[in-house]
Amino acid sequence: MTTKRLSVDYLARVEGEGALDLEIEGDRVAAARLRIFEPPRLFEALLRGRGYVETPDIVARICGICPIAYQMSAAHALEDAFGVRVEGQLRALRRLIYCGEWIESHALHVVMLHAPDFLGYPDAMRMAADHGEVVRQGLEVKKVGNEVLRVLGGREIHPVNVRVGGFYRLPTRRELAGLAERLERAHELAVGLVRWVATFPFPDVERDYELVALRHPDEYPFNEGRLVSSRGIDSDIADFEATFAERQVPHSTALHAHVRQRGAYLVGPLARYGLNVDRLPAEVQALASEAGLAPRCLNPYRSIVVRALEIVYACQEALRIIAEYEAPEAAAVDVEPRAGSGFGCTEAPRGICWHRYATAADGSIRAARIVPPTSQNQPSIEADIAAVAGTLLDQPDEVIREHCARSIRNHDPCISCSTHALKLRVQRR
Amino acid sequence: MTPTAPPRVLVVGLGNPDRGDDGVGVRVAQRLADRLPAGVGLLTARCDALALIDDWAGVDALVAIDAATPLGVPGRLHRLAPGSDIPEDAGAPLSGHALGLFEALALARTLHLPVPATVVVYAIEAGAFSPGAPLSPAVAAAVPTVVACVADEVARLCRDG
Repeated sequence: MTTKRLSVDYLARVEGEGALDLEIEGDRVAAARLRIFEPPRLFEALLRGRGYVETPDIVARICGICPIAYQMSAAHALEDAFGVRVEGQLRALRRLIYCGEWIESHALHVVMLHAPDFLGYPDAMRMAADHGEVVRQGLEVKKVGNEVLRVLGGREIHPVNVRVGGFYRLPTRRELAGLAERLERAHELAVGLVRWVATFPFPDVERDYELVALRHPDEYPFNEGRLVSSRGIDSDIADFEATFAERQVPHSTALHAHVRQRGAYLVGPLARYGLNVDRLPAEVQALASEAGLAPRCLNPYRSIVVRALEIVYACQEALRIIAEYEAPEAAAVDVEPRAGSGFGCTEAPRGICWHRYATAADGSIRAARIVPPTSQNQPSIEADIAAVAGTLLDQPDEVIREHCARSIRNHDPCISCSTHALKLRVQRR
Repeated sequence: MTPTAPPRVLVVGLGNPDRGDDGVGVRVAQRLADRLPAGVGLLTARCDALALIDDWAGVDALVAIDAATPLGVPGRLHRLAPGSDIPEDAGAPLSGHALGLFEALALARTLHLPVPATVVVYAIEAGAFSPGAPLSPAVAAAVPTVVACVADEVARLCRDG
């Protein structure tokens, strides 16, 4: 029996440091391991003893691309612990800042990181030489997302304006009017992006994912909802740990999550869309069909179309929120800390980001647990890689490597976030 | 004779102050705050240089200060002048989600976006990039010299264009 081990030592166009090992025994893939060697981050431990006021700003540091996801999940969890509800316009502003994060994160991935895979370029720089106009437009859309974060969050990276109970400062009418103008333009460009990515050549692949996302009675989910899956999960976010488990694996500093007694699952755009397509406005649904998306899409390559579609939705939702905005009396509701525990789960661009905190009477953190999207997707990513490699065993290693790396980029993994934690190595036996 | 507008100059300190000597560009920029002529822009940028593409729109000259890979002499100052010193092709990116200065310049040129006519980079050789560490003594000792050099460079650019 021949043994072959292929490796990709550093994965390009993913965030953080990861590698991939593939072991091939004869004519089958014996193992596919996404190795994450980004150093452990230890955020859960360093939060212990810190005050609830500083917690959203500490967890924002987990990620420079999706800080809002961490701030929102933390704020909701601590409000849950303190028995506080944030409603009305403050709640709407939270959706608005989240729209900004989806716009900037998705625009970056769609245009700069993922599109080169479909058009045969090694990176966006090389793609820009031939597709300058669309790269310029993608950067313009991303910039509008950043602008939403700057206006609502105080700055673009690691915003500082989110607090337990709401915000430190409310945006002015003039600031929001300025945003609306730019969001109109971003919306128009995003519709063009959907139509552009829909023309890409997509491998004819369907994966057997269990999709997991939030579901809200009447909104496409950002901040709230029940945890649902395509195989019947329908639970309160407080019951996350009864439904899902994380385990350590030797090859990764990120924990691997799975549905108890079942296995791998998928979070992120494909899951959100597949479980919530009926919550999208009619015109966004129409654009989805025009782009060739079925109401449930299980082709990981087409996630690029869903991301582009979610940019369109986020622009539209942001414009709706701004149009209906009336300044609330205060930037935040009163918060009385107390001993307790609380849960938060929100939809980061890459999927659900789940937090649990136990607090002391003064509101300081006694225990924290943070489950980022990428660690939840790791087992599904490994299964994708094993499946794609299994169809390419007679191909040269370089071809296998490239297809495996593409399979990983389909899920826009944020490895830096997932490390509590890409090289591709193929071993043929 | 039509009077010409003075050249627009932007000074940018690049780096992460939480990673030891990587923060030297930011430290120099902070020291320059009250030493630059009126009208000269001053910015610090922590990681992603992509946003600089917007910042330098309409700027005639960009002066960037950044830490350089250790080459054996921590604190040694290199001035990368327009032309041969600054690579046209940025090479392999360091991060999947962020661009470096040379990558941002290359991308802007490829996209036919505005790029400053003059780009000068002051690169200070680093000693170590330990998380949470202060500047190493040799790099900290170089700061006043770099501040003076950049101030002179800016004065020259404002005068001569």
